[in-house]
Amino acid sequence: MNFPNELKYSKSHEWVKMVDDDTALVGLTDYAQDALGDLVFVNLPEEGDSFEADEVFGDVESVKAVSDIIMPVNGTVAEVNEELLDSPEAINSDPYGSWLVKMEGVTGTGELLSAGEYEEFIKTCD
Amino acid sequence: MDQLKRTQLYDAHLKAGGTMVDFGGWEMPVQYPTGIIAEHLYTRQRCSIFDVSHMGRLVISGPDKEAFLQHVLSNNVEALEVNKAQYTIVPNEEGGALDDAYVYRFEEDRYTVVVNAANTDLVVDHFNKYISDFDVTMENISKEWAAIAIQGPESKNILQKILGEDVQITEPMRNELNTLTVPGLDDAELKVAKTGYTGEPIGYEVYIKSGYAEPLWDLLIEEGARPAGLGARDTTRLEAGMPLHGHELGKDKDGRKIPIFAVPLAKFAVSFSDRKKDYVGREKLKAQQEAFIRINNGDFSDCAALPKRIMPITLLGRGVMRAGCPVLVDGKEVGYVTSGTMVPYYASEGKGLETVITEEVKKRSIGFCYIDSRIVTDTRVQVDVRGKLLDAVIPKTHMKNDAPPYTRVIIYGEEETRQNERDTEKEKTSGTPGKRSALSLIKDTIDNTVWREKECINMIPSEMAASKAVRMLQIADPCLRYAEHRKVESFYNEEIFYYQGTGFISRVEEMLVDEMAKFLGCKEVETRVLSGQMSNTCVFSSLVDFKNRLNRKVEPRRLGYILNNHIIKGGHLSAQPMGALKDYVATDPVTEKKAVVNFPVCEEDPYRIDVAKTKEVIDEYRPELIIFGKSMVLYKEPVKEISDFIKAGGYDVNIMYDMAHVLGLIGDYFQKPFEDGADIVTGSTHKTFFGPQRGIVGVNWDKDDVKYELWETIQSRAFPGSTSNHHLGTQLALLMAAYEMNTFKDEYQKAVINNAKSFAKSLKEAGFTVAGDPALGFTQTHQVIVEVGYASGARVAQRLEDNDLICNYQATPYEEGFTASGALRLGVAEMTRYGFGEKEFAKTAELMAECVFNEKDVKEEVKKLREQFTTMRYCFDEDDVEGALGRLAGELGI
Repeated sequence: MNFPNELKYSKSHEWVKMVDDDTALVGLTDYAQDALGDLVFVNLPEEGDSFEADEVFGDVESVKAVSDIIMPVNGTVAEVNEELLDSPEAINSDPYGSWLVKMEGVTGTGELLSAGEYEEFIKTCD
Repeated sequence: MDQLKRTQLYDAHLKAGGTMVDFGGWEMPVQYPTGIIAEHLYTRQRCSIFDVSHMGRLVISGPDKEAFLQHVLSNNVEALEVNKAQYTIVPNEEGGALDDAYVYRFEEDRYTVVVNAANTDLVVDHFNKYISDFDVTMENISKEWAAIAIQGPESKNILQKILGEDVQITEPMRNELNTLTVPGLDDAELKVAKTGYTGEPIGYEVYIKSGYAEPLWDLLIEEGARPAGLGARDTTRLEAGMPLHGHELGKDKDGRKIPIFAVPLAKFAVSFSDRKKDYVGREKLKAQQEAFIRINNGDFSDCAALPKRIMPITLLGRGVMRAGCPVLVDGKEVGYVTSGTMVPYYASEGKGLETVITEEVKKRSIGFCYIDSRIVTDTRVQVDVRGKLLDAVIPKTHMKNDAPPYTRVIIYGEEETRQNERDTEKEKTSGTPGKRSALSLIKDTIDNTVWREKECINMIPSEMAASKAVRMLQIADPCLRYAEHRKVESFYNEEIFYYQGTGFISRVEEMLVDEMAKFLGCKEVETRVLSGQMSNTCVFSSLVDFKNRLNRKVEPRRLGYILNNHIIKGGHLSAQPMGALKDYVATDPVTEKKAVVNFPVCEEDPYRIDVAKTKEVIDEYRPELIIFGKSMVLYKEPVKEISDFIKAGGYDVNIMYDMAHVLGLIGDYFQKPFEDGADIVTGSTHKTFFGPQRGIVGVNWDKDDVKYELWETIQSRAFPGSTSNHHLGTQLALLMAAYEMNTFKDEYQKAVINNAKSFAKSLKEAGFTVAGDPALGFTQTHQVIVEVGYASGARVAQRLEDNDLICNYQATPYEEGFTASGALRLGVAEMTRYGFGEKEFAKTAELMAECVFNEKDVKEEVKKLREQFTTMRYCFDEDDVEGALGRLAGELGI
């Protein structure tokens, strides 16, 4: 499993990539996509929706079940990755290329884990 | 919590990287590393193997085994012959389902009941409640025998590689069983069932002793199968429309029983045969069935016994519905989703038989719902998916599996879209028909005639070309007239005509009867039937009428048992229960199936009837009608052997020989049906016979025979029973054809049979696999069967047509049906009439091989060969005949 060093991670298995000081891409980690299995559907928020960290901002569905996705930071949705609506399987094949939402006005990144910390964390998850 | 149970294949799952989960107390793989979607798709495109060893297998034996199973299962177990399987339900006293199950009869003396893993203990306890009333033994063999489901279009080929290429795995239809051995595994016994839970038309469930489970699993993978887990098992069964206990069967989400008849498959799984006596749940099920019938007839006045039913459901937009989501109509809750997910499929392109399943993967959101019985197919509904209302519809079905070897995805709305496209296309070309349409129709007819009669090599064994005289007489004046007539006893059985102006055609019919009687070798002939199929229907109707003639105050009894050739073994539709027999054959009250039994065929040569076994069948079933004759026919039928057996045994049975294909071969070089002992001969007059398209019935009873009354019935079922206008033009032409046949049959028949044998030999030399006995020259008729590869028949036949070589694709006795056809059926009669001999058929075989094996374009060469043979043989072509036909043409204004 792969956890790029330049990303930050949440305990609810989202990754955060800061594109500038207060803008970030948010996606699902390799661990999450593997645990969920084949993804067949994603439900994403609308542009302009605001979220606090730890709030549910959408869900992903695999053949097996539906799982909520949790916002790892505070911020407002600037853009939604529309391509995923048609091809959610991209999350399985390329989890770090498949961002779900682009957030602006991002705060509250202090709680996030580094790649190393996250890797340690998931060892306790199974 | 208890330790989870493991199947014989547990290690194999770990080795393959399976994700193991708790499934009803069993530690089972939900998926392997490729994932559910890939596993689902691989099942549909190739072959998946599923470990189903967790399912409970209960063997029931002992003197009362049938009585016990009749009591505790919903279906009629007495319908099960050895080597057959049956879907059934374990009902409770309330008319709900404790479980659904499959019953297998691998041996005469025991039945195996297969139930769901999580329900095994429940079912055992339930059976034990009743078992003391019966002298039976129940044994759980689940630990000793492993079970593997092998599902998908390649499953047959994969098993064939493991079991040996020459082994017939099972008879081709669903629910057939067999017991074989595995050569690579110490000849271990393998019980094979053509059953499954994926909807695949080609799929097996096999049972092997536990110690061989993993080696067999590995062998299957080596030959190309891939393991699939519970996830794909669920998505494939859902797509196939199969219920799952705990979702569509058993209890609903509020803990109330789901009536068995709420599940569409119940129709096939519940019997009310008297043989089942007062079985568990019978009364409740009867009330459900009555409601089911009312509801399906659109009468919703009393749905109390069946307030809701299980229906398929499809989302029309994006989203996924899950079990438990409410279903609404006009904002009102009408039920809920019982199973739902997103399933993948390969998109298709093209139409009809040329439909190609592409590699493009799409997905759709489908499920089952349990909704108000008043909601019918095509109703628009909404599904509440976590607060969001999504548009959905109740489709007819999610998938079909009647076009093997593949399952066919049914996308909601596609049928309508295609119909609209066809309508738009038609609108473009249509207009008020006028001279332009007339001219274009004539021109197209000319093109078609030139193509089929001057350019194509015609090898469809059901077709024949007609002489000029036959063609001309067909359109002479009688073709526009009426000549209804019947024998009237008041006038000493003179034929009385209902119209004037019929003197000529009445003489023609008399002469035709005489000529055909001479040809068939019998006393009486009916010529008014218009086709082979009508000949058979007329005879079946007469047999029913004759059977009931002495007591007409009760509902007439139908025919049973009838012994015929199975359609897969070459039997023609015109003698099948789904064809012309349908309305005339009884239902066996014991088996609740049509009272038809088939000729057993030889193991080493399924094109040949096994006479010894047929005699056993006759002793067992005592049929009242035996129907010989086939549309895929390589040999003489054993009419004499069976007729002698029947006479010796003193059986009262009519032997009918449907000679549609071989009518023109009657005689010294083939078979003389009445000399062999046939009572009734039917046929069509345009396959090996020289005539236009009509039918014929002949019988050989004397006037003092009690059966002569049956003959009179046949005449009255011809008119007024079958026709009013019996097409006088072709009747006249048939007389000419009969003259030709009676004059030229000796040379013609010899030539046809020689040509068929030499064509078969040439095809073999050209590299084709030719069916039939080489010692007999592969064929004794006008037909040759060549095998071109499983499910390749239609494609190869189309390729040949593109090269002006016309024949038809044919399913062999090993194949499931027409879409799985792996053979070509070739006939030599028409080209023999045009003068083809051994040399020309050898050249044809060579061109076919070039076209099929080397994909060479041989159209020009076909044309060159064909052009030299456009003169009709075996007919009157002398100058005076030509002259007379010229005068007739003049009078007809042509």
